[in-house]
This record gives sequence, structure tokens and C-alpha cells, in this order.
Amino acid sequence: MDPKKQQLPPKENSLFKRILKCYEQKQYKNGLKFAKQILANYADHGETLAMKGLILNCLGRKEDAYNFVRQGLRNNLKSHVCWHVFGLLQRSDKKYDEAIKCYRNALKWDKDNLQILRDLSLLQIQMRDLEGYKETRYKLFELRPTQRASWIGYAMSFHLLKDFDTALKILEEFRKTIHKTTYDYEYSELLLYQNLVMRESKKLTEALKHLNTYESNICDKVTLQEIRGDIMLELGMKADASEVYRGLVKRNPENRNYYLKLEETLGLTTVEQKLELYKQLKEKYPRAQVPKRLPLNYARGEVLESLLDPYLRAALQKGVPPLFTDLRSLYDDPERVGIIEKLMNRYLANLEETGHLCEEDNEYKEPASILYVLMFLAQHHSYLGDPDKALTLIERALEHTPTLIELYIVKGKILKDAGDYVGAYEALQEAQALDTADRYVNSKAASYLLKANLVKQAEEMCSKFTREGVSAMENLNEMQCMWFQTECAQAYFRLSQYGDALRKCHEVDRHFTEIIEDQFDFHTYCMRKMTLRSYVELLRLEDILRSNRFYWDAAQTAIAIYLRLHDHPLSANTGDKDLNTDQRRSRRCQEDAVNFERKMLRILKGVAMLGRMYEAQRTVLEQSERGKIEMARACAGVMRDTRSK
Amino acid sequence: MRKPQRQGKLHPPQDDLLSSCCRGRIELGDVTPHNIKQLKLLNQVVFPVSYNDKFYKDVLEAGELAKLAYYNDMVVGGVCCRVDILDGQRRLYIMTLGCLAPYRRLGIGTKMLEHVLNYVEKEGNFHSIFLHVQVNNDGALDFYKKFGFGVVETKQHYYKRIEPADAHVLQKTLVKS
Repeated sequence: MDPKKQQLPPKENSLFKRILKCYEQKQYKNGLKFAKQILANYADHGETLAMKGLILNCLGRKEDAYNFVRQGLRNNLKSHVCWHVFGLLQRSDKKYDEAIKCYRNALKWDKDNLQILRDLSLLQIQMRDLEGYKETRYKLFELRPTQRASWIGYAMSFHLLKDFDTALKILEEFRKTIHKTTYDYEYSELLLYQNLVMRESKKLTEALKHLNTYESNICDKVTLQEIRGDIMLELGMKADASEVYRGLVKRNPENRNYYLKLEETLGLTTVEQKLELYKQLKEKYPRAQVPKRLPLNYARGEVLESLLDPYLRAALQKGVPPLFTDLRSLYDDPERVGIIEKLMNRYLANLEETGHLCEEDNEYKEPASILYVLMFLAQHHSYLGDPDKALTLIERALEHTPTLIELYIVKGKILKDAGDYVGAYEALQEAQALDTADRYVNSKAASYLLKANLVKQAEEMCSKFTREGVSAMENLNEMQCMWFQTECAQAYFRLSQYGDALRKCHEVDRHFTEIIEDQFDFHTYCMRKMTLRSYVELLRLEDILRSNRFYWDAAQTAIAIYLRLHDHPLSANTGDKDLNTDQRRSRRCQEDAVNFERKMLRILKGVAMLGRMYEAQRTVLEQSERGKIEMARACAGVMRDTRSK
Repeated sequence: MRKPQRQGKLHPPQDDLLSSCCRGRIELGDVTPHNIKQLKLLNQVVFPVSYNDKFYKDVLEAGELAKLAYYNDMVVGGVCCRVDILDGQRRLYIMTLGCLAPYRRLGIGTKMLEHVLNYVEKEGNFHSIFLHVQVNNDGALDFYKKFGFGVVETKQHYYKRIEPADAHVLQKTLVKS
């Protein structure tokens, strides 16, 4: 290719600049017009061809876009514009690895191009190429040392690589350039980020000093105190830490964590000490629930009974529907279960006789107390595996107040836990009909319908709350409603509709891919808004995103199906209602087999991200087909075990 | 959600004996297509008479003349009225006013009836309020008498499927101002 040909004369060159402008301003039609004018005389001009391709991509003509960009690049391999454009095109297709290569090539021909460097740094952090990210941020820092983002980005690249000292050095230098005396949230966030890095590098004394120095500049006072308390505790400054946590308890007496930390700072070890602490706190904060609830975790025997009695009576007098859920964590100990049951039975007897919870009660007669006792006892006996007794009790409650929707939900749960899925969804349908504006009940009803394998009806149930005009399934997918999709997959699996089940599993998998992709926008946004602590937290969350329960559920179902499909190929299976002719059936089988391998590996990769299965994955990749299957089987087992723990 | 919309200050604070012994929160809420099933269920439990679909269709149009009563956010009572015109006079007819048995004598009926009384007072052009009560229902008779209702007539065989089939007509004539 003649390099001279790639140099445009002034008139065409100004036209080319207008193309760039049109692209930036999204005036795609005009951009194409100018490109046409240049190409009329210079049909081989690489950069113009590339830009034409890029604009076509924005207009949705993907295939043409790739043709033009490739052609342009072939005509001018030494142009940073062509490489940059190719990179942008790949990026828009989420081919980040390829895009990074393109940007690197572009930088070969224009090493100080800011725009390309910025784009490259975004891709590198998205792909977690931290070393590369550090280099690019260094370059940007070198080129634009006066910009805030240059400093932050450069420092963060060291933080993420765990080179805390360098990160702190850069942050401190940057901080010195800022002089703030008035309220400035961004400065406050910077300080807290700096403090976070200090704590992660285990420089606790320094971090504490840092907090004290900049206390007046830190706007988020609660976080300030929480961090302060944590550092003091870790440094062994228990008396100071106690003061901090007492302050936090005063600020929010409903935060359990503050109380637990306070216990720790006071070095309380025996049950008596802890109970004494809560006795004082209860008096100090008589309206707070937490200091009443926490001692129940520690007390045993008669002490527990003496604490539970007023706790339960207050709840029953007031009417607290989730009382059982509140106390369920006490059920790991038969002695405690016995005490709860004894008290509840006594209340029931008293109420039946006198209408009061206990004999010496001077309180007013609360008509709903007996209702809540019955409801609690029903849940209690269901939990202990006696559904018949539970049902008798819940029917009594329903007779008392047939309009209380919670009772139908409890009844449904009792039936579900006893394995009567039909009875369960019928109870929930009743509940749902009583208040059709209640989304929780609606979802619960749909969930129970799925348990009974009634997918169509579950979808109809959900449709009462999904957007009108589109099918409920579609809308639920769009909303990333994963509880529905995983339960739906399991229902299809039980119905042997493997194709449908797998589709649901893959929809869930796609949500996770999407969430990871959505991260992209935050790289620039968080840097600009200085929400650095949250940003680092986001990056760390995304790294272990697939450890989420929904992903595990879907992956487990998918693996089970793929294993089944392998062991019993579909040609011999008439279960899948999607398939009616032999021809289609065999074709689908083949596709499934291919999918099977590909998707299974992807799932294994997802699991491997947790670090648990990394070795397993590598072995799988190296071994034969049979080996892969064995591995997947093992994997499914591990996942099941982990979940059940 | 289940929580009813808070009503404006419809009632003056009351020094009722009944309400002082009960610390539950009593509120009235609208009947909507979302919760109409609760009213149906309630009426089925409370009254020996069953009402047809037309009844509930009309209730949805009745506005302030149909209300659900909530006790600590549970539906425990309901009132449904309609306007009757007889001899050119507007009369308010209470079709149903009832409360679940465990929640009686807590002031819930009073709250509902006061709502109705306030309504007719505010509207101003009602001649009277009336209703039917089964002749043996002493509790209801006492309740309405407390609010100035009196028996004006007793209809033989008013009810078709229940015993006793006779009904008193209770009426409160509103003083023209």
C-alpha cells in the first residue's frame, strides 16, 4: 500500500475531521455523507473506511461495520485511528481481550494519545489486568499530572496490587494539594479511602491518628465512629473502644453489631456478665428491641425462662406476626425449645380460661393474643416435624380471625414442609385472593405453584405484577427475577422438560454475565464521583459474583440436567414435550451434546472463580470427555455439600 | 398493602368506656377491588345471610358508604350502606354492619356507626337512617338504641332461610335543622 495515498489533501482532511465530530455528536447520517465524499476520490483511505465502519456499527449494521473497519485497517496498518476504531468495535461486542490488543497497537503509532490510554485503562481494570492497568495509569499520570483522576487512578492501581506503601505515598501527596475547611463530601470520601488503604496495610496506629487529625473533614460521622471503634478494638485499646461503641449504641440502639462489639470491648466471657450488661442496657434503652432479644441467645434454664416470659408476653400482647422467625435461631437446643413450648402452652391455657396471658395479669384483655399464640404454636410444631398438630392449631387460628392473611401463609408453609405442595399452593392462592395488591403474597403463591410444577399457573400469578403488553416470563427475565427462574428451572426439570429447564438456567447465567458487564460504567463514574470505598468494594464483589446463591442453584440444576442428558440421551426419552418428530429430536440431541460440554465448562469456570474448584477445572480441561463428566459429577456433589452446610 | 389509608379526623375523641379498656388501634379503610374478598369472607362469617355478586359490585361503587374496619392492621369488621329514596325522601339504609366475634365490645362497631352518622350529617339532606335486625338479636338492638335508633316496625317473614324469620326495622330520624 502506498503510504502517500493515505495522506489526505487539506480539503479532504477537513472533511475527515468533520466525520469525527459527527461521530461524537451522534450525527451518523452526516458522518456517512462526508465519508462518501472522501471515498469518491480516495477509495482506499483507511481511516475514512474505518470511521465509516464505526458509524455503521452505531446504526446497527454490524456485518458491514466489521467489513469496512477491517478493510480500512488493511489499507493503513500504521494508523492509530484505524486500530482505535477496531478496538472500539470489539469493545462494543464485549470482546475485551481483542479490544485491548487493538488499543495496544494503536498506542504503538501514537503512544501519548490520552483518549486511547483512558479507554485502555478501562478495559484493563474490567479484565482485572492489574499490572497493565498500573502501567496505563502511570502513563496517564505522567501526561496529565494536574488532573485529579490521574492521581486517584494511579494510587488505586497500587492499592489493588496490594502495594500499599506506594498507594499511600501517592494518596498523601495528592491529599496535600487539597485545602478544604468547609464541608466537602468528596474530600471526606478521599480521606476515608486513604484510611481504608492504611487499615488494609495493617498500619492501624497510623490509621487511628489519621482519623483524629481529619475528624472535622469527615462528613460520614457514623462510619467514622465505626472505623474508630474497630481500630481501637484491634489495637487492644478496649476502654476507648467501649466508649466509642457505647456512643454508637446510643445513636442507634437497634444495631445488633454495636452490642456484640461492645461485649467484645468489655471482654465479657461468662453468661452472667453478658446478662448483666444487657440488664443495664435494657433499662437505659427501654424502647429498644435488640437489648431484649440478644440475652435470649445466652441464657439457659430458669434464667432464660424469666427473660423469655416478658419478651413473649409483650410480643403476644402487641401482635408480632414474625415472632417465630425471630426466635427460630433458639431452636438448636432442645432445652430452649422445651421452655418456649412450656410457656406458650401455659399462655394458651390461661387465655382459654381467663382471656389473660397469665393469672396475675393486670393488662387489658387483648383479643388477638390467643390468635398469635395459636399461630406461633402451629409454626413451632411444624418446625419440630408434627404437621398434623400444626394444622389443627392453624385451623383454630383461622376460625378465630379468618381475615388474617399471615395465617394462610403459615398454613401453606406447614403443608409445603410436609410435602403437600398442592395444599400449599391452594392456601397461598386463598391468601393472594384476599389482598391482590400484596406483592409478597403474590410471589409466595407463584413460588408454591412452581413447587407443585404448575409453571403456567405460576406465570399467570406473577403476571399480576409484571408489565402489561409483554409475557410475564419475558418481563421476569428482563427484571432479573432470579428466584422465579431458578425455581422454574427446577420445576421443568422435574417435569422432564429439559430444554425449557436449561433455558431458564442459562437465563440466570446470562444475568451474571450482564452484571459483570454493567460494572464497566462504574470505572469512570466512581472515579469522577470519588466514591472510592464503594468502588473497591464493587470490584471485589464482582470478583466473586458467581458465588451468589442463585447462580449456584441454577448451575446445580444445569449440571444435573446435562449429566442426565448424557446418561440418557434424548432420543430414547419422550419426556421433552418440545420435541415431536424423531428428526428434530435427534438434532436437538446433538446440539445439546455440544452445548453440554461448552456450558458445563463454563459453569465449572464460574465455580472455579470461587477458588475452590480451580484445580478441578484444570484437570477437567486436560482430561477426556469421560473425565469431564466425572468431574462435573464431583462438582455437583461439592456444590450440594457446600450449600447444605 | 394491608394497611388502610389513614382517615381524616372524622370523629371527635371519645370518652367511651369500651375504647378505654382496649389499646388496639382502630382504623377504617376503603373497600377496593384488591381487598373485596376480605369483606366477602367477613360477611360470610358474621352474618347468617349470604349476599350475591351484585351486592359486592355495588359496594365497590359506594365510596364512603362502604368501609372496612381494621384492628391493629387486621380486617375485623365492615359496614355497607346504600341510599334509598322513599316518598321523595332520602334515607340511608345500613345493609350490613358487623365485626368478628372475638373483636366485639372494643369500640369497632361504634367507630363504623359513627362514620355513617358523620356522613349523613355532613351530607345534610337525609331524612333518616334505617336497618333490619333479626328479632332475637338483643346485642344489636341494644347497640343501635344507644345511638338513638328505635324500632318502628316489625316485618313478618322478612328472612327466607333463617330462624327466626322476623325482623325489626330500626330507624333514627334525623332532626331537620
